Amino acid sequence: MRFDDVEEGDELPTRELFLAKDQVRAYARAANQWAARFTDDEGARKEGLPGMITPGNMSMGLLATSIESWAGAGTLRRLGTTFRGLVIPDRTLRLCGTLTQKDERARTVELDVWIESDEGERLVIGTATVALG
Amino acid sequence: MPLQIDPAILGKEFDRAVYGPVTAEELIAFARALGETRPEYTEPGPDLRSHPTYCVRYKGEKFYPENIPKTINVRTGLDAGKDVEIGVPVRPGDTLEVRSTLHEVYEKTGRSGSMYFVVIRFTMTNQRGEMVAIVDNRFMHR
Repeated sequence: MRFDDVEEGDELPTRELFLAKDQVRAYARAANQWAARFTDDEGARKEGLPGMITPGNMSMGLLATSIESWAGAGTLRRLGTTFRGLVIPDRTLRLCGTLTQKDERARTVELDVWIESDEGERLVIGTATVALG
Repeated sequence: MPLQIDPAILGKEFDRAVYGPVTAEELIAFARALGETRPEYTEPGPDLRSHPTYCVRYKGEKFYPENIPKTINVRTGLDAGKDVEIGVPVRPGDTLEVRSTLHEVYEKTGRSGSMYFVVIRFTMTNQRGEMVAIVDNRFMHR
């Protein structure tokens, strides 16, 4: 994506994703976050959770992947996220974004990004800075 | 109980740890688990680089400084969010130094009572002293 080709108010392509439990486990292993709450329903319930959940770091990583699918690899400069709700695996998620501001001098853009459930609840919200050529 | 913070504890390094060398397999497994298929993130070779959030894989050895206010029950906490400033990518063979500081502590009062937020800043550099990432991790405690 090129800086001159985008405008404030543009929407990023929404990415719909079915997040399987095995993918969450693969992330937990690769990210050194192997813990019952992220890998095992029974273990998670013992911690008072409804079942295994997705690590916040993984939600952040999914947003980063989604942003760079639009902007290009190596373009993400900053990503800030707030984890508002539990991201439960084996459900469909939507990864969304809107371009809120262009910085002509730095040739960067600001984005609002979020992950929403199939019911439209925003589970993770954030902002990002992306450098576009 | 109102939160009382000694300002002197803010910004002080309480942990330093070194990790690595990072392997190509680690970089690739992390990226693939996030559904990445692009060669920059998933194929071994000179162009392989870390996924932009790979840095959150690393934390210090100590979770919190020892002088965290006693008002905060550190045994019960939730990851409330992160702010990541992304520097140079990690490459296979890199070693990473992670320095931890207590960046901020604040209180918010909601309908269910007081919540305390602790922000730990992880500053990561590689063996050349280049900034890999600065991660502000917000933890929430009731």
